[in-house]
Amino acid sequence: MTNKKNVNYVSKDELGKNVVHKKQIVNNEKIEIKDNEKGNKEKNTSSKNIILSIKNASYRYSDALKDDYALRNVSFDFESGKIYAIRGRSGTGKTTLLSLISGLEKCTEGEIIFDGKSLKDMNLDKYRNSDIGIVFQSYNLLPFMTASENIILSMDANGLKIKNKKEKAIELMEKVGLKESYANRKVLRLSGGEQQRVAIARSLSYNPKMIIADEPTGNLDKQTETEILDIFKKLAHEENKCVIIVTHSGNVCDTVDVVYDLKNVKEVDEKNKI
Amino acid sequence: MFILKNAWISIKRNKGRNILIGIIILIIACACTITLAIKNTAVDLIDSYKSAYDKEVTIGFDRANMMKDFDPSGAEGREGAREKFDNIASFGVSDIESFADSKYIESYYYTYGVGLNGNNIEKAEIESNNDMPNGFGHGKGNNMSSTDFTLTGYSSLDAMNEFISGAYTMSEIADNAWDIAFDGNYVFINEELATFNSLKLNDKIKLEDVDGKTYEFEIIGIFKENDDDSVESMSMFSNSVNTIITNTDAVINITNGNENLKPSIYPTFIIDSYDNVDELQKEFYEKGLDENFILQTNEELALSGVSSIKNINSFATTFLVITLIIGGIVLFVINMINIRERKYEIGVLRTIGISKLKLTMQFVFELVIVSLVALILGAGIGAVCSKGVSNYLLESEINSSNSKSEEINKNFGGLANRHGLEGGMHGKGMPVVEAYDSIDAVVDITVLLELLGIGLILVLISSIASMVSIERFSPLTILKERS
Repeated sequence: MTNKKNVNYVSKDELGKNVVHKKQIVNNEKIEIKDNEKGNKEKNTSSKNIILSIKNASYRYSDALKDDYALRNVSFDFESGKIYAIRGRSGTGKTTLLSLISGLEKCTEGEIIFDGKSLKDMNLDKYRNSDIGIVFQSYNLLPFMTASENIILSMDANGLKIKNKKEKAIELMEKVGLKESYANRKVLRLSGGEQQRVAIARSLSYNPKMIIADEPTGNLDKQTETEILDIFKKLAHEENKCVIIVTHSGNVCDTVDVVYDLKNVKEVDEKNKI
Repeated sequence: MFILKNAWISIKRNKGRNILIGIIILIIACACTITLAIKNTAVDLIDSYKSAYDKEVTIGFDRANMMKDFDPSGAEGREGAREKFDNIASFGVSDIESFADSKYIESYYYTYGVGLNGNNIEKAEIESNNDMPNGFGHGKGNNMSSTDFTLTGYSSLDAMNEFISGAYTMSEIADNAWDIAFDGNYVFINEELATFNSLKLNDKIKLEDVDGKTYEFEIIGIFKENDDDSVESMSMFSNSVNTIITNTDAVINITNGNENLKPSIYPTFIIDSYDNVDELQKEFYEKGLDENFILQTNEELALSGVSSIKNINSFATTFLVITLIIGGIVLFVINMINIRERKYEIGVLRTIGISKLKLTMQFVFELVIVSLVALILGAGIGAVCSKGVSNYLLESEINSSNSKSEEINKNFGGLANRHGLEGGMHGKGMPVVEAYDSIDAVVDITVLLELLGIGLILVLISSIASMVSIERFSPLTILKERS
């Protein structure tokens, strides 16, 4: 039995134009379709370029009881060129879903298809250092390295063969709004926003098809949050990357193209019983 | 390549911890170098002992086999044994030459004795028996009991066991004695016999066989018999007063064609390996050796002299094992701590897609680099120390061996080294002096290779901590903990 509800609301886009939001709730999914005032729907509604597909994914920790799932029967599709938010309260399995998408954990049931291939059949190390880029709330940069060294390390992990990796690192830093002079600074000497930019630059170092960000703006102020989100939007809309942001920030949800709302597993179970 | 680069960056970053690991490995390397050097030197010494003792085989009666059918308490039994003893087919010089023609035998020598009477000298009147007991000659020494003297011929210096063991010592010797001793009618006589007959060096003596044929010999040396109980006597004579020593050719010249003379022969064969004795015995039987004879080796004697060195070797081995166990545990623990401290780094590197294998290799490379530097330094320091330590431990062995070697030379009148004893002594005594001069060269390529092997084992043991941790840690859990 499905449980659907439609809601409309209006917000401003990056150009200050009004954007109409239509929400459709299907069980534990909340799909948000965003159109601009001119009725240009082609970008968001007509595209079927699915890069990642989660099919009935469930996850249970190895030491958990038989029915004690951290995530249950989740099915989402993600398309290239869009920016997504996965939203949910604490304990709904946002981080678990992120770890499944990023190949750090494997589904207990169901499967995840990336670019037509099941993650089960892929080399997940290769997947993480070639196909996707991961950005964390706490940046997860190596503190003993400089900003450029962190980015170059990621290139090395990918096996990228270019002559001047440092030049490429600086180019990526500039792309995320960092000056060249930051390249040789130890990351601990950078601010939170600057570190997050380095982390984004690192995730872009091998030009992945998808960026996964876990609360990327959780530690940042509003202004920096907006700047970081702008970077993600550009990556999605201008470079045709699929950007997935795990968040509980309303500001992020307002910015993205699509919001997936994760419900608590127990809540969903109760609804299904009804 | 980037793994090596990362390893190097990590080493530079964690200077303190790597210096600590380096110091521990250096101490282990130093201890191992000294221990290995001592151990290898001890092994060299044992080999030296073994090589100093030629692998000898002699022919002896299989007494147990001979006596098993007889009652030794009864007169009939004793008579039966004697009869059987008399019927044993003996062997001569030609048989020995035939036996020696074997792939297992490197060389051989023998003593050849015959009983003769005095012509111009008199037998020293003592209460003794100048027989050659257990002789394997035609008369098995029986005929010699009725003669005045025993003329014993040696085929070479090597055969002169009594001098080597110290039972006899040369008291006077002609300058050219060892140049002519094995080629002509020259003899060494007992000091007491010389005194009894007022004989001196270069005097000529005449001996005659049972048929009255006379043979003349020139005295080129006078020896005395040591009655010191501490001297391990390997003599076949109970008393040498009436024993006259010459070379085997001289005895063969006397015995050739004379059926009445019953010479006794004692061969010694130098073999390539004790493992081949059974095969050799089989071959001897096929060549006609009576099956009442068996082959006897000097293996037990050869190994008896190395017990103290073996103790040093065992001590070194035990010390080495303990050092490695303690060192291994300490390194393992340090690496466990190291890994725990670097969990975050592991999490980040795993998250950005560096495989477990590459990550493990990075940690192993870090250890290998630190270990190599420490091993080289440790080997250097160990090489300097090991010389003193090993020589201190082995000092008494060296002194004892050197003095023994000098003693053997003295037994031959101090001239034997010029005549083939040096380096080639078929020692019934001790190894030659030269073998011990090389003890100082203790840290050689073998030690360094062994040390390298130990280093690799230590690195692998220590790396187990990182391998297990990298395998076990979930990157997401690590990063969550950090967050």
